[in-house]
Order: sequence, then structure tokens, then C-alpha cells
Amino acid sequence: MADQDSRNTQESQQRTGFFAYLCRPNVHYSLASILVVGIIAGVLFWGGFNTALEMTNTEEFCLSCHEMRDNVYPEYKETIHYTNRTGVRATCPDCHVPKEWGYKMIRKIEASRELWGKIVGTIDTPEKFEAKRLTLARNEWKRMKASDSRECRNCHSLESMNIETQKQRARKQHEMALAENMTCIDCHKGIAHHLPEGMTDEDYD
Amino acid sequence: MKKIMMTSLAGAIFTLTAGSALAAAPADWSKVPATSISLLYPGVSPIEWITKGTEHGGARVLRKGETCAGCHSEEVGDMGQLIASGGKIEPSPIPGKAPFIDAKVQAANDGENLYLRFVWKQPAASGAPQMDENNPVKIAYMLEAGDKVELAGQSGCWGSCHGDARTMPGAAETKTKYVKGGSLPDGVFYDLNQWRSGENKAYDGHVATERVMEGGQALVSADGKLTDGVWTVDFTRKLRGGEGDVALESGKTYNFGFAIHDDSSIGRFHHVSLGYKLGIDTEADITALKQ
Repeated sequence: MADQDSRNTQESQQRTGFFAYLCRPNVHYSLASILVVGIIAGVLFWGGFNTALEMTNTEEFCLSCHEMRDNVYPEYKETIHYTNRTGVRATCPDCHVPKEWGYKMIRKIEASRELWGKIVGTIDTPEKFEAKRLTLARNEWKRMKASDSRECRNCHSLESMNIETQKQRARKQHEMALAENMTCIDCHKGIAHHLPEGMTDEDYD
Repeated sequence: MKKIMMTSLAGAIFTLTAGSALAAAPADWSKVPATSISLLYPGVSPIEWITKGTEHGGARVLRKGETCAGCHSEEVGDMGQLIASGGKIEPSPIPGKAPFIDAKVQAANDGENLYLRFVWKQPAASGAPQMDENNPVKIAYMLEAGDKVELAGQSGCWGSCHGDARTMPGAAETKTKYVKGGSLPDGVFYDLNQWRSGENKAYDGHVATERVMEGGQALVSADGKLTDGVWTVDFTRKLRGGEGDVALESGKTYNFGFAIHDDSSIGRFHHVSLGYKLGIDTEADITALKQ
């Protein structure tokens, strides 16, 4: 039995390579040193990752691509989400990227497909963008509908609205939305961008 | 026998005379309650536009039974302003066109006739070429019974307004107003009464498969006058007429809408009310109580 253990230790010590190096007990550094270095490295890694992630979560980043800057951005600048009497602005990620970490990561992974689109030039001209606008809009409406307009609800909610003080038309629509458990995007399509050509009544059902 | 016949004849003459003598418009209109109704310049907003969700955000609530007035009665002037200025659904705005007209409507009945009075301040002329050289002003109202015309109960006259009717962009000049599934025998029609200022003439027609301006038997008279820039137009209409006339009964309400062709305009270039209810001896948006 003792011979067996001795053989195993010798084999382990004789293994070479990076994985073996990681598995081999360290005889030079204390556990505390390794923990401190590990924590610092972890914080740096996480901080770096998060900083990089948040850099991709800004209007500046979105507008660094001409596809966004030349097509959807100018029309968004005409809307109340860009400028309004109270000075509250909702930028691209406020509406298009979830705030919760899990949902955000899923969305970011999904959005990585857009890199491929960028490389092959799927919407690199205004004409190509217009041709694809309905498809792109429907994708986003579907996502927002499925999440019960989660990103809208970061700022708005039917429950916190004072419907009584709204204009007659809005009052009627919001009363109906409450009664029928509707979600924001059911009605508020095109609130920040032009509506696509070719929409059907199904797009409004 | 001869004596009995004479007595009967005298009785019949008395009854007819007495009936006519009793039938009279309110002696003092100031005692008749007035309903304030604003009419907007509608641009190109036929029923096809109204019911299309991709164009009109209210199409969804309309499908659920909401009325036009339920959402828009407080913003008629704003809508008219937006449309008349060319901001929306008006491809050829007329400079100076009045965006809306505020009118007052009064109604009464005497068991035989319905009396309607429309009063409004004449807007400033736009200066645009006259479309109807004979009539500076025309006013018309429509009545509908039983919600048989699609959307008549929610939209007033709009059920007769279509995108392929004359004066609409690209429409044939021969196509008039009509209603979906229009049929006089089935009661799917609007009763239409109109007064034209230049001709000083009343028209008693209807809108079913097409707009017909004459043939009705209910309208007794219509008369209008312009005093100090204010129009007053009175209609006297029998409660019951013939084919193409909505028979009005005490205790019931009817779908009602009206339009003013101001500034010598024709076709869609009018000002139109949203849909309202006219009640005969019963509370409605406009109530015609027995005098």
C-alpha cells in the first residue's frame, strides 16, 4: 500500500505541462498571498470585463457604426425620448438593452450576431436598411412584447400613471390597456423611430 | 245619413287643421337647451383610414366599440389645426382654411315634426378659388337608426365617407358617398337633409349604395340666415317620412352627425362633426323634447 502511494506521488511530480503546473501544490507562496493575488486579479478581471461591457452600452458606442448614426439616430432625435420639457433622455441602450445582468448578457450574446452583419454589410446603405427595416422592427417588437416591454417599464408603468390627468385620447387608451393587461409596445410602435413601410394590421394586433 | 257625412267631414277637416296649427317650431329657441359641438376639417380621413391600425392609433379601441367622440371630443380644434395646416392627412392644404367650426345645436319636437337649429360663426374666408360658385355655405345632417350602417353608432357620418369617393385623392368624380352593404329595404342607410345657402333650397335625400339628394318625404323646410357674421339654419322635418327617411319615435335615440361646407367648398373640403346621439323625448347628446 505504501509502495502504491509512493508511486502515485512520484508520477504526479513527474507530470509536466500547464495543467500539471496548476495542480501541483505550491511550496513557495502562502495560501494568504495566493488568495490576495487571486482576489485582486479577480477584481481587475471583472472590472475590466464590466467596463468593456458598459462601453458597449452607450449611445456613443451605438453611433460609432454609421448604420445606426445615419439611419435610426436622426429620426430618434425628432422624438420625445430625445428631447422633452423635463430634460430626461432615453438613449439607445435604455430601450434596447436590459438593465438586469442576466438578461443583459443574453441580449449582448444575441447582439454579437450584429458583428457578422457589420462585416458582411447587411445594412450598410440606406437602401439596404430600409429594405430590412420591417424585419428589424418586428424582431425588436417581438422581443419587447415577450418581455412585457421591460425596458419601457424601467421608467414607465401603468400603475404609476395618473390617468385622470391625461388627455382624453391617452386616458381612453390607457384605461383599455389596464383592463386588458396590454403591454406598452402593443400600441407604442414607432415612438422613437419611423414606422416601417409594409406594416400589416397583424403588426398592430 | 247626409248629416252624419257632413259632420264626419267637418270633424276630419278640424282635426287636420288643428294638427297643422299645433305643429310649430319653438316660439322661443332661447329656451331650448343647446349642445356645443365642434366640427373639424377632416382632410383625407375616410373610414378606411379610420379603421386601419397602421395609420390611426385609435383603430384598436374603435374595434372594441369606442366612439370617435369618446377619444377626440376634447381635441377637435387641435385635430383640425393639425390637418388644415397640412401636418397630417392633408396632401393639399388650403392656405387660410378654417381648421374647425364651433357650432351650437338645438332640437325640439311637437309629436309631428322634429325641429333642428344650427348656429355658428362664419369663419374668415380663405381666399381660395370657389369650388361651389352657387353656394357659399351648405349644411347637412345625417340620421341613422339601429346601428345598421357599419360604425354609424361610433362615428356619425363617417360610415359614408370612403377613400374612393369624389374629391378624395385619385378618386373618380362620379363616385359619391355610400355605405357598406347599403340597402333601403334593410334599413342600411343614412337619412340625409341638406340646406344650401345660395340656392336657399332644402334637399331631402339619403345615402345607401350611393348618395341621393332628393326623394325623401320627411323634410318640410329648411331656412338659414346670416346675421352679424353668425349663421342660423333651421330644419323642420316630419318625424316619419317615407323610403329613405329614418322614422323617428319618441323615447328612442338615433345616430347623428352633421357637416358644414364653408367657404364655397365641396366634397371632403368640409367641416364635419364626430358622431353623436339624437334623442327624441329621451336624454342624449342632443335631446329633442316635446314642446
